[in-house]
Amino acid sequence: MPGVAARVAGRRPLHSLRTALRDALIVVLGGAATGATVNALRSHGIPFVQKTAYQILVPCPEGGGDAPAIAASDPAVWQARTLLVDARTAALHRRWHPRAALHVPFDYLEATPPAQVRRIAASGAARVVVFGDGGNPDSGEQLARELAGAGIRNVRFVEGGAARLEEAAATRGAP
Amino acid sequence: MRRLLDWRGHAVLALAARLYLGTIFLVACTHKIADPGAFAIDIATYQILPLGVVNLMAIVLPWVELLAGFMLLAGLRTRAAALLVAGMMAMFTVAIAIAVSKGLDMSCGCFASQGSAEDPISWRTIARDMSWLCLALYVLVVDRLPIGIDRMLGAAGQPRSINPSKEQS
Repeated sequence: MPGVAARVAGRRPLHSLRTALRDALIVVLGGAATGATVNALRSHGIPFVQKTAYQILVPCPEGGGDAPAIAASDPAVWQARTLLVDARTAALHRRWHPRAALHVPFDYLEATPPAQVRRIAASGAARVVVFGDGGNPDSGEQLARELAGAGIRNVRFVEGGAARLEEAAATRGAP
Repeated sequence: MRRLLDWRGHAVLALAARLYLGTIFLVACTHKIADPGAFAIDIATYQILPLGVVNLMAIVLPWVELLAGFMLLAGLRTRAAALLVAGMMAMFTVAIAIAVSKGLDMSCGCFASQGSAEDPISWRTIARDMSWLCLALYVLVVDRLPIGIDRMLGAAGQPRSINPSKEQS
């Protein structure tokens, strides 16, 4: 019986590929039958065909760049060649903002208008320091990353947001 | 090539691969069988399959994983099980690669239905799945007389095959 010898010697598999394919198909059918039966019998089974789309929330890919944090008390924040950018809403901007701060409200759903980005790029500032609401996520950090991703160099965001910046301004006596 | 395939150590190495893959598949199918609704959402999150197929996949796939995992562990119809595992791994790898290339921030849903923060998909996930695919292909190609039920049934059905030297002589 050379066939048996060949199998034991490892030359020929115990089951041919065709047999394996047939067995695999049987397993799939068996799995389908079992799954369907169990699903039909269980109290929290799901419909075989979903009619309405699932509500899935997958965050959009972030196209932002690298924007490190900076402390509000850092002297670089208050230097003349620093452009301060307020990422908060108009109401919060009106309540308080450092003098000469540029208001660019960050929108979580819409990209910052290219005109605003160009305005920042054309400002000639040595660095851009963005401050936001200081929340989690922080609108300032989000805008800083977006600006960095748009090609603006040396962008940072104020750690803790406008509240920390206001405290630092009061300490320094800055307007 | 034939000498390479004839090496008897393959049976032991393939056994280790089978035990590893079988355990992975048994572990992976547990949460999917327990909560098919959550698994259906995991599948839908990939945004690859049409909506009408998502639930069918969520109902059937975990049981196929369970059967294939058990067959690998027991050495029952091992080549068929390896073929199934290889097919599923190829399918998972392609799905994750598409999701990663789309930049979707999500979990693979392989071992639990969780958020992307706990287990985000990445190229590392793809590499892991490809290594498992390679193991399944290894079992499929070289494990010709698998240790387990297959070997017992084969030996029982063909008692003269126990001594190959005499068979060949």
